[in-house]
Amino acid sequence: MNENLFASFITPTMMGLPVVIIIIMLPSMMLTSSNRLLSNRFHTFQQWVVKMITKQMMSIHSPKGQTWCLMLVSLIIFIGSTNLLGLLPHTFTPTTQLSMNLGMAIPLWAGTVFLGFRHKMKSTLAHFLPQGTPIPLIPMLIIIETISLFIQPMALAVRLTANITAGHLLMHLIGGATLVLTSISPPTAMITFISILVLLTILEFAVALIQAYVFTLLVSLYLQIDNT
Amino acid sequence: MAGAESDSQFQFTGIKKYLNSYTLTGRMNCVLAAYGGIALLVLYSKLRSKKNPAVKAS
Repeated sequence: MNENLFASFITPTMMGLPVVIIIIMLPSMMLTSSNRLLSNRFHTFQQWVVKMITKQMMSIHSPKGQTWCLMLVSLIIFIGSTNLLGLLPHTFTPTTQLSMNLGMAIPLWAGTVFLGFRHKMKSTLAHFLPQGTPIPLIPMLIIIETISLFIQPMALAVRLTANITAGHLLMHLIGGATLVLTSISPPTAMITFISILVLLTILEFAVALIQAYVFTLLVSLYLQIDNT
Repeated sequence: MAGAESDSQFQFTGIKKYLNSYTLTGRMNCVLAAYGGIALLVLYSKLRSKKNPAVKAS
């Protein structure tokens, strides 16, 4: 049982070759493209979702920030679809791997910081000191703000990893407990299944989408802070 | 959060004109001064440890 608990987080290999690359590419393979103006229902729905996400995410940005539109919309669709696919039984979820989430968080955060320093050096440096700070607190607050800047990509990556991993672990544990309870006391197992497992699964669907939104929103906020 | 601040709405004199926590320039200068101070401290402690190798050995 203990060994099986973490078996779903081991990166899968087939005959020694890593299949994780194909797993990461899978969500994009499931999204269709069409060369017609009016396509079928599935593609129309997909376009409607992308349009809604674009409007929601990019409305807060200046025209310069909106050049990040493709990056941010791709990011939220990728993380959301990867998280949702990971809720299928016996699948591997790439966003449970800290390496992958750091690989997304650090370059995006660094991009926002470097762009901020390049285009608005004065404003970016001034962000390290909140307006109206009392004089005795200035040095300490600058150090604290600098540390908080460097913690941002770590927090981004660890938040996504921890939320998805914890959800999967909980589902595995409670599912295992429900299965064991079936042979001991079927009414208790039924109650556990309905009241805990079903509700938890619904929660995990919500968490999968919310975490994608939060990740992208925070990157978008870092971009807005450093570029306006 | 306040809207776009302009440096002209604050009238400071003396050193407060360059180092204050209200104007954009003042905040930038405070940040640069803090980083410069930390860099000087680090440089000073490194030079001091190089000067006294006997202290390091004991």
